[in-house]
Amino acid sequence: MGSLDGIITGFQTAFSLEAILFVILGVFVGTIIGMLPGLGPISAIAVMIPMTFGMEPATALIMMAGVYYGAIFGGSTSSILLNAPGVSGAVATSFDGYPMAQQGKAGKALAIAAIASFTGGTVSVVLLMLLAPALSSVAVSFGPAAYFALMLLGLTAIASLSEGSTIKALISAVAGFMVVTIGIDAQTGTQRYTFGNMNLLEGLDFLVIALGLFAIAEVCSLVLSRKDKSIGDTHNIGSLKLDKKDLKDMSGPMTRHSFLGFILGVLPGAGATIASFISYIFEKRLSKNPEEFGKGSVKGLAAPETANNAATSGAFVPLLSLGIPGSGTTAVMLGAFLVLGVQPGPMLMTDRPEIFWGVIASMYIGNIFLLIINLPLIPYFAKILKIPRPLLISLVIVFSMIGVYAISFNTFDLYMLLLFGVIGFLMRLFSFPAPPFILAFILGGMLEQSLRQALTISNGSLSIFLDDKIALSLLFLALLSFVFPLVKQLRKNKDKATEA
Amino acid sequence: MKKFLLPAALGLSMMLAACGSDDGASETANAGDGGEFTPSESIEIVAPAGAGGGWDTTARMAAKVLQEEEIIDGKIGVTNKEGGGGAVGWSYIANYEGNPHKLFVTSPPMIFIPLNGQSEYDHEDFTPIANVIADYAAFAVREDAKWQDLNELFEDMKKDPTSVTVVGTSSPGSMDHMQFVQIAKAAGVDITKIKYVSAQDAGGMTQLLNGSVDVYSTGVAETVEQVKAGKVRVLGVTSEERLEGEVLEDFPTAKEQGIDETFINWRGFFGPADMEPAAIEYYEEKFKELSDSEAFGEIREQFGWNEMYLDSEEYKTFLDEQREEIQTLLDELGLAK
Repeated sequence: MGSLDGIITGFQTAFSLEAILFVILGVFVGTIIGMLPGLGPISAIAVMIPMTFGMEPATALIMMAGVYYGAIFGGSTSSILLNAPGVSGAVATSFDGYPMAQQGKAGKALAIAAIASFTGGTVSVVLLMLLAPALSSVAVSFGPAAYFALMLLGLTAIASLSEGSTIKALISAVAGFMVVTIGIDAQTGTQRYTFGNMNLLEGLDFLVIALGLFAIAEVCSLVLSRKDKSIGDTHNIGSLKLDKKDLKDMSGPMTRHSFLGFILGVLPGAGATIASFISYIFEKRLSKNPEEFGKGSVKGLAAPETANNAATSGAFVPLLSLGIPGSGTTAVMLGAFLVLGVQPGPMLMTDRPEIFWGVIASMYIGNIFLLIINLPLIPYFAKILKIPRPLLISLVIVFSMIGVYAISFNTFDLYMLLLFGVIGFLMRLFSFPAPPFILAFILGGMLEQSLRQALTISNGSLSIFLDDKIALSLLFLALLSFVFPLVKQLRKNKDKATEA
Repeated sequence: MKKFLLPAALGLSMMLAACGSDDGASETANAGDGGEFTPSESIEIVAPAGAGGGWDTTARMAAKVLQEEEIIDGKIGVTNKEGGGGAVGWSYIANYEGNPHKLFVTSPPMIFIPLNGQSEYDHEDFTPIANVIADYAAFAVREDAKWQDLNELFEDMKKDPTSVTVVGTSSPGSMDHMQFVQIAKAAGVDITKIKYVSAQDAGGMTQLLNGSVDVYSTGVAETVEQVKAGKVRVLGVTSEERLEGEVLEDFPTAKEQGIDETFINWRGFFGPADMEPAAIEYYEEKFKELSDSEAFGEIREQFGWNEMYLDSEEYKTFLDEQREEIQTLLDELGLAK
């Protein structure tokens, strides 16, 4: 029972006083960074790397892992209160979290997010502990064909993210696809839509688009509607308490998406953002009252918040057991490991069990402290809504700008933020939904690249999608997911017709 | 909320800005008497990429050792100027012609990006100061692959180039692609027919392991763990001689397999154009001291880098040769702009 010994060593490491102190520090810093729009865990971890030089590797890594999942945990706060996602994994949180806050239930929304985050985080750590060694083969089982099919499955959700006109939702999605092609094409090295501007060579950052379309566009709407008192009684924070019905509503999505989020997190490249979107869509499909989604649904808030935290633990599977970073943040984490003289990979579990299991075990403690830190602070966080509107609006603008500037320290991104703010505002004005745009932007890049990788490998033959079993099953699911709502709609229409 | 969030935000932005400060104490460098140069303000080292990458790590580690070992007296700040694969950072430095307090770290993309038409500046628009480290490419296949050495692989590629797919992280015409092309060309493969796909976010190793592709063109360090675990095999590395260290010493070079070609992933420090000779001399000396220091030796070992010091003159000659070689290959591939 080598691994049991390892797990025990890991718990000993994680429960040492030093490790506990640093995990608290890590999750605290993470929560704050997550709350601030745009300031992500990547820059925080990178800045910390030189500071950890000479520290005990296990302790340092436990702290940095804490910053990472702490940021995802805290990311929900500004999504809910200000419609300004703190991290990209928290965009889907704003779909129902922000409407809930506007209805005067900010306290409740924050409490739901905290509990869902805690559940997603904790359940997935259990899964991580049980399955990390076994799952390493799952992490690499997806070839380009399978990734293409997975992205396609995600895309079928566009219909369910739209309210009102499907045509407008599709136009919005096409615009998202077009924007994501900006930059150097990875498969040919050609520049697309850069107009010779080198600032566009690497494409636009996701947060520039998300903060523009959501936060800045919201600010524009608020300014324009300043005389309109009907725009929700946002001064009211509401009670923190969740009643039995809320808890019952949450339990389903929390269980489902702890698993789904974790699995999606394991796949390199999918990560917390895609997990949160897919969970949101999946939950809406399952729901008996899909029309509540987007208007402050408890389930619609709990699903993505559970999934993004679960995905964060999932992302540690390829990192720790294969040495393969699946995202920008885990790539920086890999760098942090190397600086400390630890090489993540297939040998880590046997060579350095105290680090492999120590980091995992510390996540239990980290998640508990996140709940302890976050719950009592909710009333204080929620007070932000009591700030007079002119001040609040300025704050949102300032934070969005700081966040975007911190991505690359490039003023060009600030102009892009404003541009997308204006685009987002115009989209609202003419009722083009923003979520399909964001979804297409997130999935589009990988959809295109994996399709072309697959076709290059197969010398242009489409049979690669049929030969790959994972791809085939995912394509089948995508087809179902596309046809199912149509059938449902047809049936509804028929029922109506017979009733009439 | 306000009370809590504001100081936190300020603290953070200051923390981030601290890496970005080139605080304006702009006295002119005291280069006057006797041609001696000492920095008169804090030195800024630009990593023309985001936090956490190879350039950023090199810059931060060098700055740390230069200060902690007191090789350079005074403040050194590392800033990130991300974008365009380096082009954004280079154009920033190009604004500081002759300024002896602005340095940047760079590597082969300094050659590739301008040749691919993605930067208006190339290495001749700056002052190469000193190269400090070298890294090498490795070509890995799955453990169960049929090829035992590079020659077997290249024989198959000569017969049917479309039967083999090569994966790398960068786009065609950039490093992962060209390092493979360079060696394959020396082995007599028709390089215009090589099937290359680019996979971001470390997708290269994933695709090699799951059998989607056949060969992974990458850096030596990226392969070590998977080799130890018995999952992949390295057919060849691009160094002149065998590398040192556990596992690394077992990797055969392309050269010993009869393919007379090497590829160096060099990394070093540049300054803006028209740096005065006294300043160049000052930094050459300091980077030599850095390269020879025990502390930097430890860092090299941790990251699997090799020592390769070149002074300003040697560096310039080296870079000109590199560009000519790559230019020829890109012309043949039809990728040159």
